[in-house]
Amino acid sequence: MAFLEIDGLKKRFGAVEILKGIDLDLEKGGFLVLVGPSGCGKSTLLNTIAGLETITEGEIRVDGRTINDLHPSKRDIAMVFQSYALYPNMTVAGNIAFGMEMRGVPAGERQKAIDKVAKVLQIGHLLKRKPSQLSGGQRQRVAMGRALVRDPKLFLFDEPLSNLDAKLRVDMRIEIKRLHATTGTTIVYVTHDQIEAMTLATKIAVMRDGEVQQFGTPAEIYNNPVNLFVADFMGSPAMNLIPATIGSNGSGFSVVMEREARQPISLPLGNAPAGLSAFQGKPIIFGVRPEALTDPEGAERNASNIARADCHIEVIEPAGSDTFAVTNLGGKAVVARLRADAKIQPGTVTPLAFNLTKAVFFDPATEKRIV
Amino acid sequence: MSAVATPARQSTGGISARTVNRIVIYGLLALFALFYLMPLFVMLVTSFKTMDEIQNGNMLALPQEPTFAPWIRAWSEVCSGLTCVGMKGYFWNSIKMVVPAVIISTLLGALNGYVLTKWRFRGATLVFGLMLFACFIPFQSVLLPMATILGSLGRFGVKLQNATGLTFGFGNPTVNLVFVHVVYGIGFTTLFFRNYYEAFPNELVKAAQIDGASFFQIFRRIMLPNSLPIIVVTVIYQFTNIWNDFLFASAYAGSGDVMPMTVALNNVVNTSTGVVEYNVNMAAAMIAALPTLLVYVLAGRYFVRGLMAGAVKG
Repeated sequence: MAFLEIDGLKKRFGAVEILKGIDLDLEKGGFLVLVGPSGCGKSTLLNTIAGLETITEGEIRVDGRTINDLHPSKRDIAMVFQSYALYPNMTVAGNIAFGMEMRGVPAGERQKAIDKVAKVLQIGHLLKRKPSQLSGGQRQRVAMGRALVRDPKLFLFDEPLSNLDAKLRVDMRIEIKRLHATTGTTIVYVTHDQIEAMTLATKIAVMRDGEVQQFGTPAEIYNNPVNLFVADFMGSPAMNLIPATIGSNGSGFSVVMEREARQPISLPLGNAPAGLSAFQGKPIIFGVRPEALTDPEGAERNASNIARADCHIEVIEPAGSDTFAVTNLGGKAVVARLRADAKIQPGTVTPLAFNLTKAVFFDPATEKRIV
Repeated sequence: MSAVATPARQSTGGISARTVNRIVIYGLLALFALFYLMPLFVMLVTSFKTMDEIQNGNMLALPQEPTFAPWIRAWSEVCSGLTCVGMKGYFWNSIKMVVPAVIISTLLGALNGYVLTKWRFRGATLVFGLMLFACFIPFQSVLLPMATILGSLGRFGVKLQNATGLTFGFGNPTVNLVFVHVVYGIGFTTLFFRNYYEAFPNELVKAAQIDGASFFQIFRRIMLPNSLPIIVVTVIYQFTNIWNDFLFASAYAGSGDVMPMTVALNNVVNTSTGVVEYNVNMAAAMIAALPTLLVYVLAGRYFVRGLMAGAVKG
């Protein structure tokens, strides 16, 4: 039995259904990331777990105990908010101890708990300060301290890093990951940043419009997206989703992409999966991630099916670690990820290697994955 | 002005349009300020003059032989109607009425604002709209209905006294005025606090809920300690309004030794026993105005800050 179980969870505000039947579960010590664009219901879902929003239908269980109707303070959870939500009128120590004070923990024990948490998060020297005297990163730490001190069954994070600048965000991301590794707590984490989702999660739930689009490990979500939305949302730069058709050339199927003022590109699919045969001659969406579309020298050696094609390079974006090249296929800008030192010039025609073992195909009508 | 402008012209060879603008603006402001301060000035100087000086001298002139006698007379001897015991009793009447009325109405306003923003219920906006309506009801239109209500409360007090020996304040004119001002003030205080708490982060309340704080614990430990600017605004506003109120005071406590300051001042000025003692009248008026002045001086800094905080989230 999973540690956190969410069954058929629905949430309505009047006639509007915000959550349309969510089913998720998470093992003890797991790190579940709810990711999706704004308005997808991920924060609402987190608030229902916290007890800050009521549930219209369904059930939430933590460690086998149904917590649907429990007051937030009785759920044995702790939450870190996007704005940190530190009480401005109290010192850092007061903030951390407020929950214990409300539960009537004696002052001596409170002090011990504060000291312990301060040591873990290295905020000992800040304990006497007010939140207004702290930097963003320090506030973030204190907010985590306030959650940690409760030693809860479940940690809830509501976009905790989105108010930090880019560099600090990466540092705190690592910090959270380390915290998770050392304390072994179970975490539910909401973000709209798919990189945070990939790096932190043991399980990701990609949400849209109050529904879970896909639920799985980061690798599953990244390599085997179930539909166009997940494929497009996860990964940076995003997966290239190219309108194409399935052709056959006697020996097998091929994927054909139109080009402006040039011959269409036709890539042989070899022993194509059975699912594709039904789409012969029909339009499909051909999905290939930038790292599966490279210069021939940089292509993965172990891949069984690599097809080359000459492409007209329109733009070059050197990013330091990689060089991104933009070409046009099927009427869309397609990004290829090349080695940093790849010899390539904009405006030229260069062979690119398509790693077709990593390619995915979608039905444009249903937006679902074909193979 | 020309004295300022001339050296500037000599040194730079001409006054910029900006300087002219500044001079005009500050000149006008100074003029308005003078005009506005003139009555206060006349009151102050007159209150320190002897009657001879007032009758024979210039109204704007400074006192030749400054004397505190009019102030002392106003405080402890002046006649209001037929009783000649000075303003001091009425001053305390006002204090006894204003302090509880301000505290109660401010606390209720804070509580209302807290509920209307952080514990939204169905129809919260409507309730707020109706409370706002209270701000637009003219004093005069509630005079008679309120008198009826106070009358019944008074009769209830008599019954209580017959039954228990105590009135519990029912029927007491000071308590009545506190009641009236609290009821009348709730609309304003709620408006102030609701708008302030509207911008108050919800996440703080959520965090406190998770920390296990109760409804009133959140109010007392989280909301109130972070409301200083708006508390100051509300207190100044309520204090000034209630202290200066004349209509309710004269209607419900307009005679005898329960009169608040404003009514008593009116009686002092209207009491004619031969010569009109302008200096004493002015001193009495100054005494009546001092507490509100004091509140502004002490808390004015927060007043402006609080007004801003309500408008733009800081």
